[in-house]
Amino acid sequence: MVVNSINFWLFFAAVVVPYFLCFRGQRGQNLWLLLASYVFYGWADWKILPLLVGVTAVFYGLGLAIARNNESNPRRASQLTTLGVLLGLGILFYFKYFGFFVQEFTALFASLGVPCGERTLNIVMPIGISFFTFKLMGYVIEVHRQTAVPTRDAVQFSLFIAFFPTILSGPIDRAATFLPQLQRRRRYNESDVSEGLKRVLWGLFLKTCIADVIAPWTTVVFGNYAHHNATTILVAAPLYLIQLYTDFCGFSEMAIGVARIMGLRVVENFQRPFFAKNVAEYWRRWHMSLTTWITDYVFMPLNVAFRDWGLWGLYAATLLNLIAIGVWHGANWTYFWFGVYHGLLLCIVTGLDKRRKRFEKAHHLKDNELYAWSRRLLTFLCFTFGSVLFQAASMGDFLGTIARLGQGFGPLYSEEFSSLVIYALPATCLMFLREWVAEYRRDIHFMHSPNIIVRLVSIALLISFIIYAGQLEGNSFIYFQF
Amino acid sequence: MERIEIFEKLNEIFVDVLDLDEVELTDATTADDIEEWDSLSHVQLVVAIEKAFGVKFTALEIMKWKNVGELVDSIAQKL
Repeated sequence: MVVNSINFWLFFAAVVVPYFLCFRGQRGQNLWLLLASYVFYGWADWKILPLLVGVTAVFYGLGLAIARNNESNPRRASQLTTLGVLLGLGILFYFKYFGFFVQEFTALFASLGVPCGERTLNIVMPIGISFFTFKLMGYVIEVHRQTAVPTRDAVQFSLFIAFFPTILSGPIDRAATFLPQLQRRRRYNESDVSEGLKRVLWGLFLKTCIADVIAPWTTVVFGNYAHHNATTILVAAPLYLIQLYTDFCGFSEMAIGVARIMGLRVVENFQRPFFAKNVAEYWRRWHMSLTTWITDYVFMPLNVAFRDWGLWGLYAATLLNLIAIGVWHGANWTYFWFGVYHGLLLCIVTGLDKRRKRFEKAHHLKDNELYAWSRRLLTFLCFTFGSVLFQAASMGDFLGTIARLGQGFGPLYSEEFSSLVIYALPATCLMFLREWVAEYRRDIHFMHSPNIIVRLVSIALLISFIIYAGQLEGNSFIYFQF
Repeated sequence: MERIEIFEKLNEIFVDVLDLDEVELTDATTADDIEEWDSLSHVQLVVAIEKAFGVKFTALEIMKWKNVGELVDSIAQKL
């Protein structure tokens, strides 16, 4: 049941009306939302529902035990936190990576002449596992660091983990900001509903008018890269990055919007990454709920542990941090090398940071727009290359795709390309316009204009665009596979 | 060492490590208030602070600070 489908909105209507009308306190609202969340998750994968309920119960107990021991027995609190992290990683490893390792070791032994027999493990990866296990592990770490207060209310905690708008694909929320919101009754609030609907509308626009219009073309090109020339590959690569962004940002906008309608604020996931001037800034604006999670719980501890090694310690922590982000996406060498590639880019940016600042000072480049846009273009191209690696099914496919660049230019693969030009191009221009306004001209507003006519016309135009150009079949999202 | 002296020394360290023209740290200052203070430069700051004050922080201490005030408390406790 995807958020851009009719089924979802029928489900949501059935949830949200009683949510506001039938419950007088937070307890009833939370219990109702938890029930809805389990129905939603069970709809996607009912066999895994007991696992979700079981691990939630274990981490609920761990959180309380850690809090009890934080002051009286810090050593025990540390041990319990480690246990929670290992349990979360163990679940992830079993469902997400175990089959991959068995396959790789079988192949390795076979190549060394040790027969192992062909074995295929049929481990079904639970949908949303990378998202809810990260929430669970983040919770015990936060309780241990005393940056979040554990809840005694099992319903509140279970709802924090299973909250239906975010369980399948994030954003990965934090206990410190989400749990307190569940401790008060949410009343129907016109401004929340209005803001929520605008976020949903914008997300739907990104998904249906850009991502789903580009997707058929890039899928054909990269799926049959051996038949395409350098021109087609060079056009498909940046298009794929735009598709990936609009697909995932579109989903995040809709998830945030749905939560907002119910009076709940979910953490932001994107902040106009194409306006970033270097890769470090790009990562601070892209999939922010994951990158801040990994920065707080992987990068910082590593960076602190390696701090006596100077810059090399920082490089080691950066590289491991980006590899963690890469392999979080799945068990495939492409994700590992995607992490290594971005880790090395970040090390270069970090290493050159002081020189860059001195250079900018000496040449008065700080406010030079041409210089800023050159840096943005370079960053975009770095991520474009990374996205080719990201989308490849295997390293062989990636290298094969890159090798096509050496086969010479030629006519662009034009099958169905016209729909990209007619629908996705103007939609992408509109997206950049809105993001440019948000970056440079905060005084200009469209859907949030104080002028009711501007506001209504903007909303009506966006709805018309979606109806006219949008792919409204309720296509799935790229990040559902993670 | 008085808190005011710790703040003065910290201001110098922040200017030096983050390459700032000047800074006026307060108890409530956080990384959100200084653009150059990010996760990459945070540990460089910690190393410079440890060296300047001759102290050593634990990993948990470093990760629990919510603002400059808490950092100053940690330094004051160790001096």
